[in-house]
Amino acid sequence: MSAEQPPAPPAEARTAPRPVLEVTGLEVRYGRRRPPVLRGVSLDVGPGETLGLIGETGSGKSTFARAVLGLVPAAAGSVVIDGEETRGHSRRQWRRLRRSGVVQYVFQDPLRSLDPDRTVAESLTEPLLVQGVTAAEAAERARAFLDQVRLSAELLDRLPGELSGGQRQRVAVARALVTEPRLVILDEPVSALDSANRVQVLEILKDLRARGTALVLISHDLGSVVGVADRTAVLYQGELVESGPSADVVNRPRHAYTRLLVSSAPTLHGARTDRAGREALRAQLTDLSH
Amino acid sequence: MVRRVLALTSGRIAVAVLLVIALLALLGPLLAPQNPLAGSDNALATASGAHWLGTDYLGRDVLSRLLDGSRVSVLGSLEVAVTALVVGTLPGILSVYLGRTFEWVTLRLTDTLVALPFLLFAVAVIALLGNGLTQAMLVTGVLVSPLFYRVSRAATLAVARAPYVEAALISGASLGWTVRKHVWGKVLPPIAVALAQTVGTGFVIVSSLTFLGIGVQPPAPTWGGLLASDLGYLDQRPWGPLAPALLIMITVWACNLLADAIRDVYGQAGRALDNDRKARAHHLARTAPAPTGGAS
Repeated sequence: MSAEQPPAPPAEARTAPRPVLEVTGLEVRYGRRRPPVLRGVSLDVGPGETLGLIGETGSGKSTFARAVLGLVPAAAGSVVIDGEETRGHSRRQWRRLRRSGVVQYVFQDPLRSLDPDRTVAESLTEPLLVQGVTAAEAAERARAFLDQVRLSAELLDRLPGELSGGQRQRVAVARALVTEPRLVILDEPVSALDSANRVQVLEILKDLRARGTALVLISHDLGSVVGVADRTAVLYQGELVESGPSADVVNRPRHAYTRLLVSSAPTLHGARTDRAGREALRAQLTDLSH
Repeated sequence: MVRRVLALTSGRIAVAVLLVIALLALLGPLLAPQNPLAGSDNALATASGAHWLGTDYLGRDVLSRLLDGSRVSVLGSLEVAVTALVVGTLPGILSVYLGRTFEWVTLRLTDTLVALPFLLFAVAVIALLGNGLTQAMLVTGVLVSPLFYRVSRAATLAVARAPYVEAALISGASLGWTVRKHVWGKVLPPIAVALAQTVGTGFVIVSSLTFLGIGVQPPAPTWGGLLASDLGYLDQRPWGPLAPALLIMITVWACNLLADAIRDVYGQAGRALDNDRKARAHHLARTAPAPTGGAS
C-alpha cells in the first residue's frame, strides 16, 4: 500500500461502523503501456470522518477521485462505496449507484462545473430530478439547500456567470449535498477562494461532518486541509506515502515528501534557512525515487 | 429563441424577407396573373402594364413564371437543408458517445461524401433513378450532411468532457438526459446557423441544378431555370436575368442574415444580456433597490 507503514488510526475512527469508502490496492493507468498514475493506494473513510488527501500537481489526487467515482476504470484493486464493490461495475450499475445519491463530487473549478446556460435552480434540482423526484419537490429541496450554504433564494434564477467565485463554489457544494450523500469528495474546495469565502465553505463542511457525512478533501495545500481533516493521507508520484491523524502528519512527518510539504510553509527562521532545509529534503526525495 | 432573434433588427429583417418568400411559395401559383406555361407572339417584351416583368423568349409572362416557380425553389432548398440536418446531426453527436468503431465509420463516411462533387453525383443519381427534384435534392442533402456532422460533432466534443457534464453523470444522469439537458443546447446554435446557411446554399443548388435542367422537367418554371433561359437572350433583353437573380440573391442574403442573428443571440453572452435585461425590469418593477444575493 504505501512506502511506509502508517501509524495506527485513533480508536474513535476505528470503532466507527462500516466505512463509507474503502479503497484497497487501487491502481489506475491511462493506457496499458504507460506507467500507472496510481499504485497500490489503500485508504478508508468512516461516516462523519474527514480525510485530507494531499499531493502536488500530477501526484494522482484527482485521478483517485475520478477512479472512486467510476469516471476512470481501475486497473487493479478494489473500491467499496457504502458496502458495494464497484470495481467491474457496468455503466448501468454505476448509474444505479449514482442515482442512489450515496456519493457526490465537488469539482475543482466551480465555474466550469456549472452549466453556463442553466440557472442555479436548474443545476441544483438536476440530481434530484435524475433520481425521479417530482419537479415541485426538487425545487423546494433546492431552495432549502441554498439556505444551508448561506445563499439567498434570489440567486436561483441566476446563471453561473452572474455569480461571484464564492457564490459559485457554494452552489457547487449545494448541488453535491442536495441528494444528502453519505460520501462527498471535494477537489480543492477552497483554494480559489478569498479568506471570507473560505471560512464560509469550511463552516458548511463542518455542518456536514456533524450530520455524519464522510468527506474526502483533496488539496495540494497541507495547511488548508489539516485544520479540517481528522486524518491526512499524502500522495506522492501516485503512491500513498503517509497516512495518519492530521496532527501527527504535521508534527511528526515520517516521509521526506511530507517533511518537504510541512517545511514549505514560511517560518520565522528566515528564507535562507527554509530554503536550505527544503533543498536537503528534495535531495533526499531524489535519492528515494532512484 | 424566436423572440430573441426578433429582438435584433437584422433578425426582424431576415424573418420578414423569409416570410414573404414563404408566402410566395405558398400562394405564388395563385397570385400569378397569367398562365406561366402559356406562350404568346409577344416574345422578349419589355416591362409593361400587361407584363410587369416582360416576357421570355417564348412570350411567357416572366412575373407569372417567377411566382409559379417559387414553390419548387423553396421546397427544393428546404429539402436539401432538412435532409442534411437529419442525416448529419444525430451521427455527429453520437460519434462522441458510441465508441471508437462508430466514430471511425462515420468519420470515414463523411470524408467520402465530402470527396464527391455534388453536381456530378446528382447527375449520376438522376441518370439512375430518373429526373425529379425530390431525388436530386435528397442526394444533394446527403452530400451536404458532412457540414452538419462536423458542426454537431465539434460542438459536442467541446462539451462532452466538461465538468458540468461529468457532474450530471456523477448524479446518475443517463446519456439521453445528458445530451438533452447539457449537450443539445450547446450544439443547437451552431446547427441553427448551419441550417440557415444551408437553406441559402440550397437555393443556389436548386437554381444551379434547374439551370442545367436537372431536377425539373421543362417547361415547369423555377428561379434557376428562368435565369438560365434569360441568359441566352442577353443581347436583346440585357436586364432579363435581373429579376430571378435578385430574388435568389435576396433569399440567400436573408438566410445568411438569419444565421448571423441566431449566432448573435445564442450562447452565453446573449443569455447573460437577456438575464440582465430581466433583472433590470424586475428591479424597476419593485421601485426599491433589491438586496444582493449571497455575501461575497
